[in-house]
Amino acid sequence: MNYFLHIIIMINIYVILTVSSNLLIGMTNLLSLGQAAFYGIGAYIAVLCLMILHLPLIPTILLVMIVTALFSLLLALPSLRLKGDYFVLATLGFQLIVFTVLYNWVSLTRGPYGVSGIPAPKLFGFIEISGVLPFLILSSILALFTIWIFYKLINSPFGRVLKGVREDEISVLSIGRSVTNYKIMVFVISSAFIGIAGFLYASYVTYIDPTSFTLDESIFILSALLIGGLGNIKGPVVGSIFVIVLPELLRFVGMPNSIAANMRQIIYGLALLLLMRYRPQGIAGVYKVK
Amino acid sequence: MFLQLLINGIIMGSVYSLVSLGFALVYNTTRTFHIAYAVLYMFSPYMFLTFYNNLNIGLFPALLISILLTMILSLIIELFVYKPLEKKNSSSTVIMISSIAVTTIVINVIALFYGNETKILNPNISGSLSLGNIIITYTQLTQFVVSVFLIVLFLLLLKFSSLGLKARAMRDSNLLCNIFGMNIEIFRIVLFALSGFFVAIGGFLIAYDVGMDPYVGMPMLLNAVVALIIGGVGKFEGAVIGGFIIGILQSLAVWMFSSSWESAVTFVLLIIFLIFRPQGILGEKQRKV
Repeated sequence: MNYFLHIIIMINIYVILTVSSNLLIGMTNLLSLGQAAFYGIGAYIAVLCLMILHLPLIPTILLVMIVTALFSLLLALPSLRLKGDYFVLATLGFQLIVFTVLYNWVSLTRGPYGVSGIPAPKLFGFIEISGVLPFLILSSILALFTIWIFYKLINSPFGRVLKGVREDEISVLSIGRSVTNYKIMVFVISSAFIGIAGFLYASYVTYIDPTSFTLDESIFILSALLIGGLGNIKGPVVGSIFVIVLPELLRFVGMPNSIAANMRQIIYGLALLLLMRYRPQGIAGVYKVK
Repeated sequence: MFLQLLINGIIMGSVYSLVSLGFALVYNTTRTFHIAYAVLYMFSPYMFLTFYNNLNIGLFPALLISILLTMILSLIIELFVYKPLEKKNSSSTVIMISSIAVTTIVINVIALFYGNETKILNPNISGSLSLGNIIITYTQLTQFVVSVFLIVLFLLLLKFSSLGLKARAMRDSNLLCNIFGMNIEIFRIVLFALSGFFVAIGGFLIAYDVGMDPYVGMPMLLNAVVALIIGGVGKFEGAVIGGFIIGILQSLAVWMFSSSWESAVTFVLLIIFLIFRPQGILGEKQRKV
């Protein structure tokens, strides 16, 4: 039973990751390969809040969101001056720099040894959230909250401007909206929520090390999003379920563990390749990648 | 110490330049962001491993076969992935994502067959040459001589042959090349084969020295891309200059910080260039369309 609950918790974490990445990639057409960097920053800030500052649950979440959002400005301000391939490269550079810092600044992050024994967050200072079932509830609430916020955002006037930016920046400029400001806002909102996913991961697994936040993880988040589809809420949710449930199905088919990890990656790669060729909007998305 | 590191950097830089030149060959002309170039880089030493260490057919035949197979893989990727997407007029983002997908697939297929661990091609410690207090191993010497020879040969070829003329024409406009009756499809095959050739040799030169695992391609690809951008996209000489700059800088970074900061140094350099001089050292400022 715990096994199924664990899968649902992981799906919740990836729903948060992909739904918030969708605002950046699907709604505004900013292909970022730096999502795992924000995921990692969120996780490490959560560790800071829980282990050293001993903050309760809600202040921790708020602080994680704020700090991750501030870090996103660090990427957004220089990279938004770039277009196309160069923008992707800048986000990729950011991803690698963050990883290198997490990995090598041993006195701050304990580097490759990782941080273990992350204490459980406490709601209002006394209800301790640890174990699978409380985390299922917490992660579901946070995932539903994220979905609700982003649903509102996408269908608001703000979301319509973003669609405008995605389709034609010049016409958005011509009606007097600052494209750059909107892009910065999208960066900040999306990475603040990715920070929540980092918090959930760190406090659920109670152990983190930098290898969970590599470029491969960024590509994984991107594939989950692209397989599911861009531009709406359904797409990212479907994608998250697909990438989390598929390896478990492979296990049921009886594939030995030694090859399952590689097989899984091969299947994701094939799915992505075929979708890009025949259905660029993904399984359930509405927006075709430009 | 400084001189030794400088020499190491120049030797490393020569291989970076070679690999970057292969990437530039595709990127400058077709504007395909060829991320799968990373897997070609590790594919060639793995093929060499199979034919040399496992089937024992001798160094040069094994090398020749591994280079040929890498070129064939490069062509397969072009013909079965990029070409159909180009036919459909897909955007560069779609092509880039497909390229990432191909990379994932090939890396994991290789990992399935050969395992994730580091493989060594040459178990012997290579002899070395000492000049004063500078030590250069014979492997390093080979790396440098082969890379520089190929780079010079190729730059001359680009300057004085119709291949170079066509490559520069394609850099300016694929559409115009088509209009003037150049067969772009055939020329793309030539380009992808040539770039496969360069990366196969680059991959082999490095792997023969330090071994390889299925994941070595990505960091090298990033070095090649950064080299191209700081040198100047559109200029083939730019990739070469950029490659040497990165090689030297990384080597000095090892001296000043530690080897684990190598990639951070590269990317800080990239971001500085992207912000302050996006056209690179040799590039001309482009007008916005």
